[in-house]
Amino acid sequence: MSVASVTLDSNRGRDRTDARNDALFRWALRFCALLVLAALLGAALSTLWGGREVLFGDGWRFLTSAQWNPVENRYGAWAPIYGTLVTSLIAIVIAVPLSFGIALFLTEIAPAWLRAPIGTGIELLAAIPSIIYGMWGLFVFVPFMAAHVDPLLDASLGRLPWIGTLFQGPPLGLGLLTAGIVLAVMIVPFISSVMREVFQTVPVRLKESAYALGSTTWEVAWDIVLPYTRQAVIGGIFLGLGRALGETMAVTFVLGNAYGLTASLLMPGTSISSSIANEFNEAAGLHRSALIALGFLLFVVTFIVLLIARWMLRSLQRKAGKA
Amino acid sequence: MTDLATATQSGSQPVAPAPAKIAVRNLQFHYRDFHAVRNVHMDIPERQVTAIIGPSGCGKSTLLRVFNRIYAIYPHLRAEGEVRLDGENILDPGYSLNRLRSKVGMVFQKPVPFPMTIFENIAYGIRHHESLSRADMDVRVEQALRAAALWDEVKDKLKHSALGLSGGQQQRLCIARGIALRPQVLLLDEPTSALDPIATGRIEQLIEELKRDYTIVIVTHNMQQAARVSDRTAFMYMGELIEFGDTEKIFTKPDKKQTEDYITGRFG
Repeated sequence: MSVASVTLDSNRGRDRTDARNDALFRWALRFCALLVLAALLGAALSTLWGGREVLFGDGWRFLTSAQWNPVENRYGAWAPIYGTLVTSLIAIVIAVPLSFGIALFLTEIAPAWLRAPIGTGIELLAAIPSIIYGMWGLFVFVPFMAAHVDPLLDASLGRLPWIGTLFQGPPLGLGLLTAGIVLAVMIVPFISSVMREVFQTVPVRLKESAYALGSTTWEVAWDIVLPYTRQAVIGGIFLGLGRALGETMAVTFVLGNAYGLTASLLMPGTSISSSIANEFNEAAGLHRSALIALGFLLFVVTFIVLLIARWMLRSLQRKAGKA
Repeated sequence: MTDLATATQSGSQPVAPAPAKIAVRNLQFHYRDFHAVRNVHMDIPERQVTAIIGPSGCGKSTLLRVFNRIYAIYPHLRAEGEVRLDGENILDPGYSLNRLRSKVGMVFQKPVPFPMTIFENIAYGIRHHESLSRADMDVRVEQALRAAALWDEVKDKLKHSALGLSGGQQQRLCIARGIALRPQVLLLDEPTSALDPIATGRIEQLIEELKRDYTIVIVTHNMQQAARVSDRTAFMYMGELIEFGDTEKIFTKPDKKQTEDYITGRFG
């Protein structure tokens, strides 16, 4: 009897410490997670506060105007927003198919001895600092674009109706297209390594089943591998897109930093982050407020992009019959 | 018929002689330096069920995977000899893979529905070989699902994902997917090894019904299953075809000692 009560007591003590430790652990985890929200909210609110003069002072003008004139203290964010979206879009249009090809080659076609070197190469590409991409872009890629690509585009695609306006202009080298291509090179490693990881998770039997029905390698990739990994692939693409939207240094070097709305991709433009990087040093008063407001807009743009990603994922799932 | 086949066909209840749908002659299969299948000769009769049994690693799955050349998607694998489907050698590099795979369907060990709707799972393969109108496609999908005894269970959820089906239903979906192409031969690679006994029973019943229209070759590690569903049984050991004949004879009085030892559970 006494022995039993002793063990019971010690058990009760153990239970109490267990419960306390568990509660502590749960609070610690909650703290870590909440820290993310706090940091995000803090950054968003402080940029909102810092940019309040232009965001709320001029009504919608800050969003809709393309005029950016520090001398007259009139600011409109449309040109940087446009530049950010266009360069990121170009980057995604180039980088997604390229990454898809790289990842497919590495998982489906490449002989074993070639997989490791290319895989490592991709990871090294991701480790290059963006300032190096910027320098390379300015000193090597911009002259190349000016000497070869721009004149070629102007003379070929530039002559076409409708899309011709996208490719007309003097061969400056600098511009939206150049920035988009440099961004594409920068985000390929992210997208392709995510794709490669998830393509490897596709069960062998699933692919064999498709081959057994007469499918070609391309059909297996497009109809089986891609739908099977859909969620992670879209995640990877938006990881790359997020990077492209916020990328500063490389873009600043090659974009040309001109506030003007132009339909031509060969013309210089500006982006949200490169405007901030270029002008923050000499900005004061309303000018500074306008730059901080631009930072807030980058939040908004990124948030909208994430919402679109969610929406795309859901509509794809509905199409695949996941009720 | 080869000598081997005629020699073993004098069983107690000989199955009606059927013309050979697949004739294997002197088949060798290499994986790099490993000689996985050696000197196999066999005649697989039309519209019957032929079971291939043997211990793990004996080459039975490898042999099956030669019949639709699915091995060809991997490097370093090679088959030599002849496998004649209706008299034409499918190992001939000139034999179109597309044509072969429309004639020879395959179902794998684990049910592997494609990540699409139930309807699309069936339509996917058909679309690859034929272009049908929407109405014709509906008919074909229904036929395939009925033939695989799945129609009644899925007819109201054709637009749902196939991944929501049970394991047994998924495997019948894979069979439906295979027969939707109207093949002549159906290869089943341990089709019930991942299923529970009830689902297994349904698949075996289905095999019995399907042999009216298809030549079926089934690899199984389950000897009772081979005895239940097949007309002819091949026993393989260490890459060689040891004995091939009427199922009843193989399981009652096999000619070879190795076969008898395996059947009676003395090894394997």
